[in-house]
Amino acid sequence: MRPLDENETTQVFEKLFKFVGSNLKNIVENPSHEGPDPNPGRYCFRLQKNRVYYVSESLVKRATNIKRENLVSLGTQIGKFTKTGKFQLTIQSLNLLAANAKHKVWLKPTSEMSFLYGNNVLKGGLGRITENINPNDGVVVFSMSDMPLGFGVAAKSTQDCRKMDPNGIVVIHQADIGEYLRMEDEL
Amino acid sequence: MRKKQKQKIVLPPELPPEVPDDEIQVSDEDLQFVDQNRDYAGFVSNLDTKSITKHVTRVADVKDDALESMYERRLRKKSADKDKEEDEVEVDPVDALPVKTLDGKLYYRTVPSAAKKSETEATAASEDNGTATPMVKLTKAEKRAKQKKLRKEAKKQVKETAQSDEVRQAPQSEVLDEVKKELTAEEANEKKKYRLAELGTALLVDPESNIKSLREMLQIAKDGDHSIVILGLKSLLAVFKDILPGYRIRLPTEKEQQMLVSKAVKKTRLYESTLLTAYKAFVQKLIALEEQAVYKRVAMRCICTLLEAVPHFNFRDNLLVAVVKGISSQDDVVRKLCCATVKSLFEHEGKHGGEATVEAVKMIAELVKVHNCQLHPDSIDVFMSLSFDEDLGKPESSEVDNKTKMKNSKKKRKLVEPNKLPASENKRSRQEIISKTREEVKADYKAASFAQDVAERRRMQSDTLSAVFQTFFRILKHAMQSLASSMGESFSLPLLAPCLNGIGKFSHLIDLDFMADLMNYLRKLAGAGSQKNDSHHLTVSERLQCCIVAFKVMKNNLEALNVDLQEFFVQLYGLILEYRPGRDKGEVLAEALKIMLCDDRQHDTQRAAAFVKRLATFSLSFGSAESMAALVTLRHLLHKNAKCRNLLENDAGGGSVSGGIAKYNPYATDPGLSGALASVLWELNLLTKHYHPAVSTMASSISTMNTVGNQVSHSNISPQQAFVQLSHEHESFIPASNTKKTSNKRKKGCSLSFPISSASKDELMTLADENAVRNKLSEHFLILDNIVENERLRTELYCTNMSLKLCEQYRKQKKRIR
Repeated sequence: MRPLDENETTQVFEKLFKFVGSNLKNIVENPSHEGPDPNPGRYCFRLQKNRVYYVSESLVKRATNIKRENLVSLGTQIGKFTKTGKFQLTIQSLNLLAANAKHKVWLKPTSEMSFLYGNNVLKGGLGRITENINPNDGVVVFSMSDMPLGFGVAAKSTQDCRKMDPNGIVVIHQADIGEYLRMEDEL
Repeated sequence: MRKKQKQKIVLPPELPPEVPDDEIQVSDEDLQFVDQNRDYAGFVSNLDTKSITKHVTRVADVKDDALESMYERRLRKKSADKDKEEDEVEVDPVDALPVKTLDGKLYYRTVPSAAKKSETEATAASEDNGTATPMVKLTKAEKRAKQKKLRKEAKKQVKETAQSDEVRQAPQSEVLDEVKKELTAEEANEKKKYRLAELGTALLVDPESNIKSLREMLQIAKDGDHSIVILGLKSLLAVFKDILPGYRIRLPTEKEQQMLVSKAVKKTRLYESTLLTAYKAFVQKLIALEEQAVYKRVAMRCICTLLEAVPHFNFRDNLLVAVVKGISSQDDVVRKLCCATVKSLFEHEGKHGGEATVEAVKMIAELVKVHNCQLHPDSIDVFMSLSFDEDLGKPESSEVDNKTKMKNSKKKRKLVEPNKLPASENKRSRQEIISKTREEVKADYKAASFAQDVAERRRMQSDTLSAVFQTFFRILKHAMQSLASSMGESFSLPLLAPCLNGIGKFSHLIDLDFMADLMNYLRKLAGAGSQKNDSHHLTVSERLQCCIVAFKVMKNNLEALNVDLQEFFVQLYGLILEYRPGRDKGEVLAEALKIMLCDDRQHDTQRAAAFVKRLATFSLSFGSAESMAALVTLRHLLHKNAKCRNLLENDAGGGSVSGGIAKYNPYATDPGLSGALASVLWELNLLTKHYHPAVSTMASSISTMNTVGNQVSHSNISPQQAFVQLSHEHESFIPASNTKKTSNKRKKGCSLSFPISSASKDELMTLADENAVRNKLSEHFLILDNIVENERLRTELYCTNMSLKLCEQYRKQKKRIR
């Protein structure tokens, strides 16, 4: 377990920024109420076995007691570095993203299932969409009852969505909560 | 006799022959009449003979002996030239006016008899002129012009005669001028007024034959006198308003003029051309006068009335230019007038077929462009009265249908024609002729028919629309630019508010392609004050309006796609706190609450909770109207979002319910991040003790919402209605008198019984209190009175006691002495 170096930090923050925009500040400055300290600590990012974790400082302190090769996980995993050195957000980060998301898409109940099987979001399945989405923005996908289902990348801007045909792709799938079942081993 | 004299007052001294009174024979009939009708004859005795004579011998400034000599000379002339007698009589005083030299001597012109004959013609002409003044009452300018002309003619005629004549003629005209100046201004004005009235009525009675007198009226209106000009303009306006035809006059081309036409046509043409030239002159005059400060309002009123009455007629453009210019005038009266005119122009499109609308809108757009958006708000407000026929979109499809039909029919024809080929040539040519005539008839019908071409109307509408939106977007852009460029500097955006109103009204007509930019601008404008720099450029109301407009635009255009306007919610969340009752418009806030929170179908739970919490806080700190609007919205939100009802529970939530944020953060700018679900709506408890019964009942009904369960009772009152209701009531509000409202609420459920009873108890209490206080006060004062009385009596008693003692002592002493 080690802190991220500069290169890794920029990669992580850039990725997060796509989804949460200026709310990134909230993520970094979020006070944690964990541990015995009367003063709330902060959350920080830690790298362990190519995976990036979002951990409270008190937890980091206590985790130092465990040998690196024995430490399986700590805090919330938010992503991992691939073998080529790129950073990827994983589905565990969904809660963090959903709370701070700038761009949201709500799915109709009929198309929820399709998304949870790993398919892209089509125009026809769109229940609602945040205004002012630009292509390549990170989008968090919700069910109509405001339950976060996953996230992806916008393929079209909100304006363009209007003119699209129902079969056009609005959000390109990146991760969904179906992965907890489908890819249990890999997570 | 005297009556006769009076009638002729106007006429220069054509005195009746002097007849001694005793020579006048009064007939018996007359005497009888006078006897019978004393009343009628009364005025005769009242007649001011002196003034009459003065008027009759009007050459008033001339000395008596001069007058005498004048009369003498007149007599001489009479004898000399009897055939011209009448004229001579009339012109005589004019002719005979003495000439005053610089050293003060008076020279009477003596007419040499030799030159007389040759001169007669000239004098006759000038005499005509002289006599014409009282009769026709020409304006001075015209008189002078006429004089000159006459003089020239006279000169021509007298050319052969001696030069001395010419020399004499010049002084004569000068003399004439002087005479005219001597006519007092008032009399002239009176005359002109009468003349105006006469001409006007004559024109109205029979415009065709009297059309020429328009010119004269115009001349009168050119007078130097203020009131005469105004009267002239007004009477001309009345006349034109009445006689202008319902069509546009097209002057015949040269080719047409060369053609032979019937008498009637010629007459009409003459009439029309005269009318047109007069109208043109009038319009030009109005526009010229409009520049002068004195006549500005009158001229503007005339222009506006004309434009309103005859928008179809020629020279509409000139009028429109003037009106549009006046639309942003500094003068309140002029501006109101112009705005009203333009509005009526927009509203009554049938009068001019919409062309004027297009022109006016384009002109206003140009005006806004030229003045760089620094105009009075009224100038944009007029757009609000524009109306667009939405059904006009439909003809497009029908046209397409037509086209396809045409194609079909062509195909059919093609199919049919080969069959008919074998038919005889004769038949075919006849068919062609028939179809040709049919087309001609159709074209003629189209030209003659009153109904407008649909395509034409559509074109005009789209022109109008594009001009309107061009203006709106220009204003928005200008606002953006000035926001960006001037940091901290104060500047005004007078047009922004009406512009936003307009966009809100016509939002359903905006092209989808503009939508992205429009929303972008609106977002920036709505957030204009919330940036960290302290200079809040836009007022809260304006920013709220931006939000409202954005929602309207979205609602009207995006039925298909449900777009969440998150950023505007963020703005509203902040704006609720920035609202100040006196400074900002509560109606706008109520509207924003209605449109953004009540009408929107879904909300995030987090966001809804944040708004619930903020509205509750808000309603604690402002007046009853605002808090009522907020509470209505709050109830609506709670009703829709079952999860948010956790806020009503008594323990601070948190954990899984409150989402990622464990603690309520009241200072968060984003409603989604405030963590409001972790808080408790303790404000409602305070609000139940609100002094206004309506608010307190509302608050208590909300706070019992959760315990009652899924309450179905849900009044459909909107925040706006609530706001208006309470703000109206506010003036006449007496805390204990609101029984009507509470009785309304009583129907809703038993859970409301508590506040009602408390309210009524309060009422009773106050009533009882009043009586008690009155009693106690009277008791108190009674006692006070008694005490005072008591004291007085006591002092009296004391005094008598003292005196008694003294008396006894005295007696004792007396006894001792004895």
